[in-house]
Amino acid sequence: MNCSDARDIFPVLLDRRTAANAQLEARTHLAGCPDCQREFSALSQTLAALDTMPTSSPSPRLRQNFYAMLEEEKHAAVSRGGATAAREPRPARVALWRWFLSPVAGATLLLFGFLAGARYAPAPAVAAPATDPATQRELAALRTKVDTMSQLVGYSFLQQQTQRPANDRLRGVLTSARLENPNQQILNYLIGALALDPSTNVRLCAVEALYPHADQEIVRAGVLASLPREQSPLVQLAMIDFLAAARDHEAAPALEKISQTETADGSVRAAARRALVQL
Amino acid sequence: MIATIDEINVHSRPAVLNRSGSLAPVDTAPAQRSDHALMLAVRDGELDALGELFERHHGPLFGFLVKLTGHRPAAEDIAQTVFQRMLKYRHTYRDDGSLTAWMYHLARRCAADYFRKANAAPYATDPSDLHYHADEAPHAAERAATRDDHALLHVALARLDHGDREVLLLSRFQELSFAEVAGILECSVGAAKVRAHRALRELRNSYFQLQKQSLS
Ligand SMILES: [Zn+2]
Repeated sequence: MNCSDARDIFPVLLDRRTAANAQLEARTHLAGCPDCQREFSALSQTLAALDTMPTSSPSPRLRQNFYAMLEEEKHAAVSRGGATAAREPRPARVALWRWFLSPVAGATLLLFGFLAGARYAPAPAVAAPATDPATQRELAALRTKVDTMSQLVGYSFLQQQTQRPANDRLRGVLTSARLENPNQQILNYLIGALALDPSTNVRLCAVEALYPHADQEIVRAGVLASLPREQSPLVQLAMIDFLAAARDHEAAPALEKISQTETADGSVRAAARRALVQL
Repeated sequence: MIATIDEINVHSRPAVLNRSGSLAPVDTAPAQRSDHALMLAVRDGELDALGELFERHHGPLFGFLVKLTGHRPAAEDIAQTVFQRMLKYRHTYRDDGSLTAWMYHLARRCAADYFRKANAAPYATDPSDLHYHADEAPHAAERAATRDDHALLHVALARLDHGDREVLLLSRFQELSFAEVAGILECSVGAAKVRAHRALRELRNSYFQLQKQSLS
């Protein structure tokens, strides 16, 4: 058997399910031919890397949408007693003002205030298009109120966090990411880490950890508010991806701005343009 | 008010359901239904059975689509459409069908439709999926990131043409037989095998080239 014949058998050898069936001659050739060994090892290394490539999980939106769609179809099937076309479900968006009025909002408000204040002051640059004038006035008033506290909160967060070594902070973020039902404090912590942590790695991990909670208004608002402050293109890209995945329409003006910023990284601008299409 | 989280208990994630083999051991009580049995039930009107199929398959399906498209938001949209179509076209599922083969057949179509509609390139060649945890300083971290094997592989995958990526990912990850892969790609078994191996060689070439570049 020559090299070319032996290499024809490589696909059989590289597939776990068929390797045992490979001709003895091919194995014998491989055992004695350094060239074929090199080729074989390069291919199996590539496959091993491919097999171990990490996959991230989808956001919870996928499951929510799926079950919403299933329910809708079940109702349709019952009422019409037959086959019907599935419709695209639209998850209801929780109005921002409702969140502001909720009792758990207090603590988060401080942090969000810092982010929003730094971004929107003196006047809100981006208004939620779907809210009525009364709600908008309410929001503006809230923003003014939190502005006054914002510097303080940001400062204490930084003080508290930067006293811990970076590895500790990274571990903190990774641990939070594994919590199944993190409470509002944990989410605050993650948003805080994303907005303020000096380590790129910690910020990247924080974006990743926030993915499963993209359905929460505060999480999207936190990511959106952190975006203009972010300096690292890698983190910017992760944030843009997050906002596109979360279908956050409020992100449109910020994305527009990035896509037109001459000094921004090329791939970041391209990602912003793509995300705009997605929204 | 900012939580330190060290003292909080970590809950383990729910165990990921295995892809149901059709050969479930006999002693595992009220026998878990096979994928095929569940899909037949869906077809015959037991729509809740699709929930079980979703739980079993949405993770691997999403993973496949992320690698195929290189773009998380797109992968999520496409995965959503796949389950929509499974429901919509449930009456076309055949008695002698294979659930995974059918699902990935739909996935391939949905991906094609998605990119036709979005009029976008079928692969986002940006590094936004590259999340690494190397060292501290941002620039050092980003340089280290480019050396990361999986980052290189991600770029190498992006350089494959769409068809090569498709055949490679289908034949490698989805526990599909080559006959099923061939069915999905609408080609002969022999052609599917040849294409998969050619795609692997292409991937190897650019992967090793990238490794060399990143070392120099
Ligand atoms: Zn040889």
